[in-house]
Amino acid sequence: MKNRAIAFAKRNLIEMSRDSLSYIFCLAFPLAMLIIMSIVNESIPKEAGMTLFRIDNLSGGIAIFGQTFVMLFSALNVTKDRTGSFLIRLFASPMKSRDFIGGYFLPMAVVAVLQALVAFVSSFVVSLITGYELNPVGLMLAVAAVIPSAVMFIAIGTIFGTLFSEKAAPGLCSILISLGSFVGGIWFDVEGTGGIMEKIGKCLPFLYATKAARAAIKLDLSKDAFLIPILVTLCCALVLSAVASLLFGKKMRADLS
Amino acid sequence: MTAHVIIVSFSRGDVYYYLNGKQNIRQGAVFMCDAIVTHGLTKRYKDKTAVNGVSFNVEEGKLVALLGVNGAGKTTSIRMLTCLSKPSDGTAEVFGHDVVKEADAVKHLVGISTQDTAVAENLTVKENLEFMASLYLEKERIAGAVSEAVKAFGLEEFVNKKAKHLSGGWKRKLSIAMAIIGEPKILFLDEPTLGLDVLARRKLWTEIEALKSRMTIVLTTHYMEEAEALADRIFVMIDGRIAAEGTLNELENRTGKKGLEEVFIKIAEEGK
Repeated sequence: MKNRAIAFAKRNLIEMSRDSLSYIFCLAFPLAMLIIMSIVNESIPKEAGMTLFRIDNLSGGIAIFGQTFVMLFSALNVTKDRTGSFLIRLFASPMKSRDFIGGYFLPMAVVAVLQALVAFVSSFVVSLITGYELNPVGLMLAVAAVIPSAVMFIAIGTIFGTLFSEKAAPGLCSILISLGSFVGGIWFDVEGTGGIMEKIGKCLPFLYATKAARAAIKLDLSKDAFLIPILVTLCCALVLSAVASLLFGKKMRADLS
Repeated sequence: MTAHVIIVSFSRGDVYYYLNGKQNIRQGAVFMCDAIVTHGLTKRYKDKTAVNGVSFNVEEGKLVALLGVNGAGKTTSIRMLTCLSKPSDGTAEVFGHDVVKEADAVKHLVGISTQDTAVAENLTVKENLEFMASLYLEKERIAGAVSEAVKAFGLEEFVNKKAKHLSGGWKRKLSIAMAIIGEPKILFLDEPTLGLDVLARRKLWTEIEALKSRMTIVLTTHYMEEAEALADRIFVMIDGRIAAEGTLNELENRTGKKGLEEVFIKIAEEGK
């Protein structure tokens, strides 16, 4: 049986695996941040009571931070295809809109899971070095817990890639990477800061994604720490995926009109 | 359910027939040997009519050339026939399937090599062919189709080379190989030799010539000698219309000129 979405996903995965930038941004950069922030954490006096960069908190944050680059690469994959004539050639094939969306989502989901595995394995190693042991079960649960946020970021990237040009989409993704990192509670305690930052953070899905990942690592599956954040992230992932699918289909029809 | 069709008579391009006992008439009929039939095919953009009421038939198994200057409507016509663009008016059928209403069926019947070589740059020649084959063929047929396409276009030594490292000529061959790997009944080649040196062009002609026995081919080109060498029938497009059609002999007789270039210039001047 022909599965055109899988065939297209395979093509996208191969193309990405041959682009050194995807290794730098999707794997090396988050890993470097994990190591740097762990060193920073070691330099902070214990009396300061600052636990944000402690490995049990940092690990989840880094996993979400890495996914923001998955968003960037999702946008790049779509814009690159749209810029060249390859996508137009594929529009003349029996591929349908759902095959394209499946083909763009699947390889990025594989990258996101690999990225989470690398981040959490590295975190485990860091935890052994720093003496703050992480629970392997929590880390395994966290791999599953970051899947909804991965889908959400892939959907955002696909939306940007569909709507904007090869020049505009990466720029917009960079803005979102910065915004997501700040209000997503990755680099500072948004809820502890309060005020407008907390309000913005709670209006956007990034904070919930980070909270769910951190709670999973700590095996804190309580309603406030895990269940509500994961549900919010999941709902956003589903809605944004539907929007991405609709927009891509609309754009495809417009290109073929 | 079995449909019983009895063709009663042909008359001036119309077919009178019985389908399941009911009498029907098909005007401007699609004969069994027609691969493409268009009636008043038109494409309008906001401020321009790119294709203006074009009607023509392409017989199955023939190679036809669409000639015309830039902006004559050749590529737009091909885009409509390959479901890449919707006609603003008129109809087009590919083996009896309407390009708008039955686009899915049409997409299984056509292959296209676009003006810009549409290949996945980071994939090897083999991976490009495998990918395209997997969109059209069952899994068990892919390997055979790939090796056949590689052989047909002499791509053996580049099989594991990335497409982005191929020269223009080889990239063009890969693009055509990708267009035929799905075993289309009609192959559209949009300026296949554009930008190629004379040797690469002549080599590609031989390969296109070899495809003639396997499928109907519609070729657009600016090179008169290309159309002269390859085409069974020539359509000259001027300002979105078909200004003349026929074999080279017929066109020469009509214009009183010798050679396609002279014929083309005469038709183009008449069409202005």
